[in-house]
Amino acid sequence: MIRRPIKSSTAAFLGVLSVLLLLGGYTFLAHRQYQRNPDDTTIPRWSQLHKGLQSAIEVNRRSEDRWLVVDAVASGQRLFLGLAGGVAASLLLGLAMGCFTPIEAFLHPPLSLLAKVPPTAALAVFFVLVGTGNNMYVAMIAFGVLPTMTLTVNLAVKEFPDELLYKAYTLGASHMEVVWTIIFRQVLPRFIDAFRLSIGPAMVYLIAAEMVVGDVGFGYRIRLQSKLLNMSVVYPYLAILAAFGFGMDSLLRLLQRKLCPWYEPRR
Amino acid sequence: MNPEGDASPAAGDIALESRGVGHGFGAKAVLFDVNLKLRRGQFLSLVGPSGCGKSTFLRAIVGTHPPRAGELRLFSAESGDEGKVIDAPGRDRGIVYQQYSLFPFLTARENVAIGPMLDQTSLAFRCLRRLRWRQLRREQWRAAGDMLEKVKLADAMNLYPHEMSGGMRQRVALAQAMIMKPEIILLDEPFGALDEATREDLQYMLLSLYEENQKAVRQGNRPPYTLIIVTHELNEAIYVGDRLVGLSQFWDWRKEGHAAAPGATVVYDKPTPVFDTKTARNFERFTAQREEIRRVVFEPAPPCDRHQHVVYWREQTAR
Ligand SMILES: Nc1ncnc2c1ncn2[C@@H]1O[C@H](COP(=O)(O)OP(=O)(O)OP(=O)(O)O)[C@@H](O)[C@H]1O
Ligand SMILES: [Mg+2]
Repeated sequence: MIRRPIKSSTAAFLGVLSVLLLLGGYTFLAHRQYQRNPDDTTIPRWSQLHKGLQSAIEVNRRSEDRWLVVDAVASGQRLFLGLAGGVAASLLLGLAMGCFTPIEAFLHPPLSLLAKVPPTAALAVFFVLVGTGNNMYVAMIAFGVLPTMTLTVNLAVKEFPDELLYKAYTLGASHMEVVWTIIFRQVLPRFIDAFRLSIGPAMVYLIAAEMVVGDVGFGYRIRLQSKLLNMSVVYPYLAILAAFGFGMDSLLRLLQRKLCPWYEPRR
Repeated sequence: MNPEGDASPAAGDIALESRGVGHGFGAKAVLFDVNLKLRRGQFLSLVGPSGCGKSTFLRAIVGTHPPRAGELRLFSAESGDEGKVIDAPGRDRGIVYQQYSLFPFLTARENVAIGPMLDQTSLAFRCLRRLRWRQLRREQWRAAGDMLEKVKLADAMNLYPHEMSGGMRQRVALAQAMIMKPEIILLDEPFGALDEATREDLQYMLLSLYEENQKAVRQGNRPPYTLIIVTHELNEAIYVGDRLVGLSQFWDWRKEGHAAAPGATVVYDKPTPVFDTKTARNFERFTAQREEIRRVVFEPAPPCDRHQHVVYWREQTAR
């Protein structure tokens, strides 16, 4: 039957099983590849992966730094600053647009247009505006997530029923109170959802830009090592990216549950 | 001529007055020349065909959509004999809707306490004077608890709206409006989405509020609740109110020289029998009045003379 619920233990078992199958399948492929050609680096075995990861953590002889550390610092900084700026600005803009119709009329057309411009394609624009270096990436990520997220927040605010708005006024609320005490609290969970959904695109923008023009960072390293077919370094980097994205997502979900216990989207 | 009859009630007795109120949206005329004087402590039922402008009239009273013609005056202890003209929403008028009366992100108790909070404190106060705010908060919290007990929800204080039944939500919404002690409480089809049994419980609760009013009057005090309830259920309208007003677009406007329909107006205004919480509900008693209302307010043809059944104040003084 469609949508028949299952026990949570069954669900957990199936989840673990699929991950184990993935790992098992990889082990099998790696082993077969090793038997065909012991020098192959495209499907490294676990021991090779271990070595690859080690080489990324140890101080590199030629560049005299720890790759993983410098990459993580660079990419992490860019991502966090870019996301923080973009998310904070879109919350303010989205609230303002949803609450004040002239602001919406003014900002909606350009934002809908900008939402369709791939920020990586406009990298040169950011380079011209804020120069190279971290600022360029930060600006690109911020402006990359801003239009869509602003429109999402705007939509959530507009869905706020008129009746509740009138209600708030009959309870003696001022305009500011209506925005912060009422509307903001109502759209907070939707905002966190939008935040969660923007992490993926933000990472895409960053990695792509680093691959093209970076001299440090996850994207730069992955491109370089991929060219050399050093998959024993590339795979751990990919795993770290996945773990990071997953961690951020879980953290925001937790935050949502803590701040908005009343909110229950369809799970 | 005073369209509501000859006699005017004493000035201090009136809670709300509608003087020639007209309303519309763009070119569409909705309300025309609505005249109404609402006595303090009165429970007025407002009925009318769907789309005739009942909700629009309530929105005008709430102040979010002030009338296009005429004026609405609200009378309170502070406003004096002239009252104040309603031109914006304010804390002296409470409203309960069929839906969306509660803030989904607040529990029952918080939903009731938020009124006093918004009313008595400001954002700045709550941020800057934390100690005093905490004190106040405790008082408001207790008052909200008392109010919820009054509407028989002592067990549901910490539930969120989505965890409550429809009847519980409407009780909370009533408590939320009552805690503000407004001059008037407006109910827009408050029980429209409830099942029959729950609906009766809530009608019963309104009757008990009306009894509180009567008790206050007997003791020489100001009656605490004045109420307008919009409902599409005629039995309910007659049962919970002491006066019934019918709004209708089906009146003889051609006779008054209008070329096009000018909108709905008051075509029916009569007292209804008062029930108490002790006697059984007996709808047989008002079959005749129900039929009269149906004919005058809801039947498109033949259009009736709009003054013929607007006799509330005339009958009051005749008594
Ligand atoms: N915001 C609006 N813009 C344009 N027309 C409106 C608006 N709100 C209401 N109307 C129109 O005004 C008329 C009266 O609407 P209103 O909601 O007051 O009717 P009602 O008597 O409450 O009806 P119901 O019994 O269905 O609730 C309707 O014809 C409606 O289409
Ligand atoms: Mg209505």
